[in-house]
Order: sequence, then C-alpha cells, then structure tokens
Amino acid sequence: MSEAVEVDIALGILDHQLVDANGQNCGKVDDLEIAGIAGGAPEVVEILVGGNAWRSRGRLGHLAARLSGNAVHVSWQEVESVSSVVTLKRPSAELRLNRGDDRWGELVGKLPGS
Amino acid sequence: MSVKNVLAVALGILSAIGGFVDIGDLVFNTQAGATFGYQLLWVVVVGVVGIIVYSEMCGRVAAVAKRPVFDLVRERVGFGAGLGTLIASQIVNLMTCAAEVGGVAICLQLLAGLPYRALIPLAVVALVLSAWVLPFEWIERVFGYLGLGLLVFAVAAIKLHPDWERVAHGFVPGHHVGGSLLVYLYFVVGLLGAAMTPYEVYFYSSGAVEDGWGLKELGLNKVTSMIGYGLGGFLSFSLMIVAGTLFPPRNIDPQFLGTPPLAAADALGQVGLLLALVGILFAVGGAAIETCFSGAYNTAQFFGWRWGKRERPAAASRFTLAWLVIFALAFLVVMTGYDPVKLTEYSVIFSVVALPLTYLPILLVANDRSYMGSNVNGRLANVLGVVYFVVILAVAVAAIPLLLLTNGGQG
Repeated sequence: MSEAVEVDIALGILDHQLVDANGQNCGKVDDLEIAGIAGGAPEVVEILVGGNAWRSRGRLGHLAARLSGNAVHVSWQEVESVSSVVTLKRPSAELRLNRGDDRWGELVGKLPGS
Repeated sequence: MSVKNVLAVALGILSAIGGFVDIGDLVFNTQAGATFGYQLLWVVVVGVVGIIVYSEMCGRVAAVAKRPVFDLVRERVGFGAGLGTLIASQIVNLMTCAAEVGGVAICLQLLAGLPYRALIPLAVVALVLSAWVLPFEWIERVFGYLGLGLLVFAVAAIKLHPDWERVAHGFVPGHHVGGSLLVYLYFVVGLLGAAMTPYEVYFYSSGAVEDGWGLKELGLNKVTSMIGYGLGGFLSFSLMIVAGTLFPPRNIDPQFLGTPPLAAADALGQVGLLLALVGILFAVGGAAIETCFSGAYNTAQFFGWRWGKRERPAAASRFTLAWLVIFALAFLVVMTGYDPVKLTEYSVIFSVVALPLTYLPILLVANDRSYMGSNVNGRLANVLGVVYFVVILAVAVAAIPLLLLTNGGQG
C-alpha cells in the first residue's frame, strides 16, 4: 500500500469482505496474525481465512472451527487496498481461496442451464 | 426524469406493492380483523413506517457502500454473535419459506381441486424452476404484478360499506374492546412482525447490490421504499377491514388460508374469488422465492462467498446449492402436513426475535461516515431509526412469552 491510511483493525479490517484481483468475493478476514507485539512494533503479517481461523472467535466460532478444516493463510503483502472491502493483488485461485466454489461447482455444473 | 425512467420507477413501485403482502400479513391481518375488528389498524401503520425507515436505510447503504445487510451484521457484531444471528435468521427463513410454499399449495388446491399433498411437490417444482430460469428482475415483476390481484381486497373493503368512523378510530391506539389484553398484545407483536419481516430487508438490500445501485439510485431507493411499501400497507389495511367487517358478526375464525378469498367472494362474487386466489398465489409464491434467496444471500455474505442471481450458478456454486437446499428443506417441512397457518404464526413471532441484531448493524453503518460519506443518516432517519429500534427490542422480548401465554392468540 503506497499511502498511509488510518484504519481501525478491529472495526475496519476484521470480518470484512475479501475481494480478489478479478473483483470476485473470496472469503472474509476471519482472523489476523499479528507479529512483534512483544517487541513493541506490532505488525499485521497474515490474513487467516476460513476453517480453524474461527477458533478464537467466540464459543460458536470454536465449535464451527472444530467442524471444518485448516485456515488459508494470506500474507499481508498480497493486500492491494483497504476500503469497505479488503482487495487482494492476485486472483483467488493463486492464493488458494474460494476452493469451496470450485469443489461444488463440478456438481452444480451438471445441472442444465448452469 | 425521462418517460422511460418514470415508467421504470412506476413498474418498480407496482412490484413492490404486489410483493409487500406475504402469508404473514395475510394470516395476521385477517385474524386480527376477525378478533378485534378495525381496532388494530394503527399497528399496521407503525409496522409499515418501520419497514420504510429500515429498507430506505439499507437500500442507501447498498447504493453508497455496496454492502448488503449480512455483510454489515458480520462487520459490526463479529463472528460469534453474527453466526448466532445467521442461524436464527436461517431457521426463521426456512419456516417462512415452508409456510409460503404451503400457502401456494393451498391456493392451487382451491383453484384446481386436487389434493393438497399432491400439490406440494408441484408447487416446489414450479417455484424452483421459476427461480432457476427467470432473471432477477423477471422474478420480482412476474410475482409482483400478479400479486396485485390482492387489490381486489381494497375494492371489497369499499364495497362492503364498513362503518368508516369506526375504521378511522382503528388508526388511533387506545382502549380495546373485546378479547383479553394479552391476545391484543399478541396481535400487536404479530402485526409488527408481519410488516417488518427481516427477510424483506435482506432481499431488498441484496437485490440493490445485485442491481449495481450507486449514488444515482438514491432517489429510486427513497421512492420505492416509501411509495411501494406505503401502498403495500394499504393492502394490509384492506385485509383487516374486510375481515373486520365480515367475520366478527358471524363468529368466523379464519384458521384457514381459504377464508380471506371467500371474503372477497362475498363482496365481489366469483371474479373476486378468482382474483383473490391468483393474487395470494403469486404474492405468496414470490415471497417463497424471496425467503429462500434471503437464506442463501445471508449465508454467502456471512462467509464471504460469491453470491448473486446474476452469477453463473456453477461459479457461485455454494450460493446456488444454498437456495436449492433451503427449498428442499422447506418441501420436507410442508410435507409433514403441519398446518401452514400455524407455521406462519410461529415464523412471524420468531422473526421478531431475530430483528434487533438485523436492524442494529444497519443503523450503525448508516451513521458511519467511513462507509457513507455525506450520505449518512439525517436527523429524521436517526430519530425514527432509534425509536423503532427501541420498539423492536421491546417487541422481541415480549414475543415468545406472549405466544406461550395466549396459546398463539387463542386466548
């Protein structure tokens, strides 16, 4: 990101929509990995999407995380911009996002007119 | 505004009117009329203004910030409470969808004379096919326009020559006559819930995002929500006036969905009956599609999936499966043979409980300049928004106790 913009991480980034380079929805910012808290210079290093990223998100989140797989980790370097959505620099497939739609897409694709 | 735009706006309003009434309004307005005459008309006014305030707000958020309602829920209340809201709203959506499907089957039964159970699969197949084949705007229009058959109740209300002075009194809240206070309050909650059903704001805002609304559509948003829902409210008045005129003197308790159309027949003969049945069929059928799409919109928006009727079904495969699964589940619920009118009562009362967590994020974001820039709520929207939020909270707390204490309005 070129310009310095002030964003409230909890309100402005966490739980916001992720959009890939093609403008497609590709998950939510389910959790953030922050490094350097001990050193006094905290920095967001990764976005966690789906699965066990929910385990720290309350009791229902904990339960949901147990029922689903691993989170996808997306480096903060991949972030293009932050507005009401978090836009990524690359298409979702390259970041291993949106695999659910690909998996179920084969089934739905068999229906006529899909 | 060009002629073409005026026409587009007029058509949008027409489909909003036809789309306003669903099985919840039908059941609660006719039962309230049968039990309390015209005395509860004021509640419909309160409910209609409420849905106008919140649909205008979420339409504006959709146009300016491009965010539909469940994005806001997730962003503002977080994952845990958001997931709780999602689960609650899904249960209500499913119950409502099932009730509407049952309503479609009952209308078909009254029109065709075939057995109810056999018509349920037919109703579901017809609805799924329309939802699959028709583009978004056609779904809204076909069901909205044909739902205008319900206008027959407005004509019937006039032709029945009700005592207009008593009707006018009904628009002023006050002491009620007849029935217990608890039953009266139960109907207050039910009528508010029926007018302010959460799926209407889910569907309205998601539709606005799908239609790519921008700043240009802010005027359209105001007009559609105010005039469309406002006039839709007249259909609710008509239903209550017709029921309030015909049923109390004869001690008729409209526990069947077939009762309201008979009221239209009483005033307007066979043509009235037919128009009423067609109106109900399409109003309720359209609502079935809206509730099932709302369920899919909410899930997809909560988890951040691709969504939309405009997306290729296979590309937004999880969204597609979500609405197909909701229809399938609704089918199973209706096939149990559980009375659709009872199902409607429960779905409306439970929907009231899910309202606060749906409306609070809308109110918060509509006030947030980082989303809305200069299009944040004005003073009127905020005063009304806050007043209604307090009303919704009170109603949400009272809903289930009233349902239990009155045995579903039976007293």
